Amino acid sequence: MVRQRGYTLLEVTVMMSVFGALLAIFFVLTAEMRKWEKRLPVNYMRHPQVAAVMMRLRRDVLDANVTGTGPYRGEFGTFKQGPKELILDTVLPNGTTQTVVWDFTEPSVVRRHAYTGQLKTETWVARGMPPDFMSTTKITAVEFADRPYGVRITASDSNGKVAIDQILQPRSHH
Amino acid sequence: MSGRGNPRSQGGFSLPEVLAALLIVTFVITVSFTAFLERNRRLEQASEIMLAYQSLANEAEFRRRITYSQLLDDVKFRSGPALPLLEPLAPYDTVVNVEEVKTGVKNVTMTVRWRNGERVARLTLVRVDTGGTPLW
Repeated sequence: MVRQRGYTLLEVTVMMSVFGALLAIFFVLTAEMRKWEKRLPVNYMRHPQVAAVMMRLRRDVLDANVTGTGPYRGEFGTFKQGPKELILDTVLPNGTTQTVVWDFTEPSVVRRHAYTGQLKTETWVARGMPPDFMSTTKITAVEFADRPYGVRITASDSNGKVAIDQILQPRSHH
Repeated sequence: MSGRGNPRSQGGFSLPEVLAALLIVTFVITVSFTAFLERNRRLEQASEIMLAYQSLANEAEFRRRITYSQLLDDVKFRSGPALPLLEPLAPYDTVVNVEEVKTGVKNVTMTVRWRNGERVARLTLVRVDTGGTPLW
C-alpha cells in the first residue's frame, strides 16, 4: 500500500500565511492606485490629435492680429463665433493676415479653415477626437485689463473633471 | 527504482521544496507588480504635472501683463479665484515670488506644491521694465 501522508497543518498554515501576505500587499497597493487614479481627470494631452489641436490653436491665438478692430470676428461665412467655433484674424510670418476658423461642431472631428480674404486656402482636419473631449470643449473669452480679450479653452472628462483649461492671450506684434 | 517518476513513491513535495517554489513565484510576482506600479505612478505623475503646468501657463498669461511696478509677491493665482484644474491635487499651495535681480529686471516665479509639498511645479518669467510700452 502506498503511503499518502499529505501536508501537515503547520505546512499548510505557513503556505497560507505567505499567500495571504501576498494577497494583502496586492490589494492594498491596487486600492491605493485606484484611489489616486479616480482623483485625476483623463489626460487628454496624451492623445496626439488633441495635443496637435491645442498646439495649433495656441499658435493661432498668440499670432492673432491685435491691430485695428481686434482679432475676433462675430461671424464669417456660415460660421458664428461661439463656444464651438472660434473665428480670428492672424498674422502670417510674411506680415500678411489670414482669417482662421476653428470648428468643433462635428463629433470626433476638429477642422481648422484658413482664408485669405474670402478665399479658402487651407483646411486642416484632426480626426478620431475623444467623444468626451468633443462634447465638453468650450471656447470662451477672458478679459485682460487694457488688452484684447484672451481665449479660454476648457474640456472635461466623462466624470465632469476639468481636464483642459488653457488661457491664451494674443501677443503684440511690435 | 526511485524518484517521483515511480508511481509507487507518492510522498509529495517536502516543505523546503514548496517554500523554495513559493519564494521564486513571490519574487516573480513582486518584480512584475513593482514594474506595473512604477508605470502607473509615472503616468499619474505625468497627469498631475500636466494639470500643474496648465495652471502655471494660465497664470503666466496674467502675470506677464501686470504693470511692472505692480509686480509683487502673492499667494493667490489670478487666473481664477477657484482653480478647478488643480482640484484633483488638493490640498495644494500656490505662491508667486517676485525678485528684482537687477534694476529694471524682475524674476516672477510661480509655484504649485501638492502632496504635502513633496511635488512641486515651478515656472519663472523674466519681466523687464520697458517704460510702460505695451510690448507685452
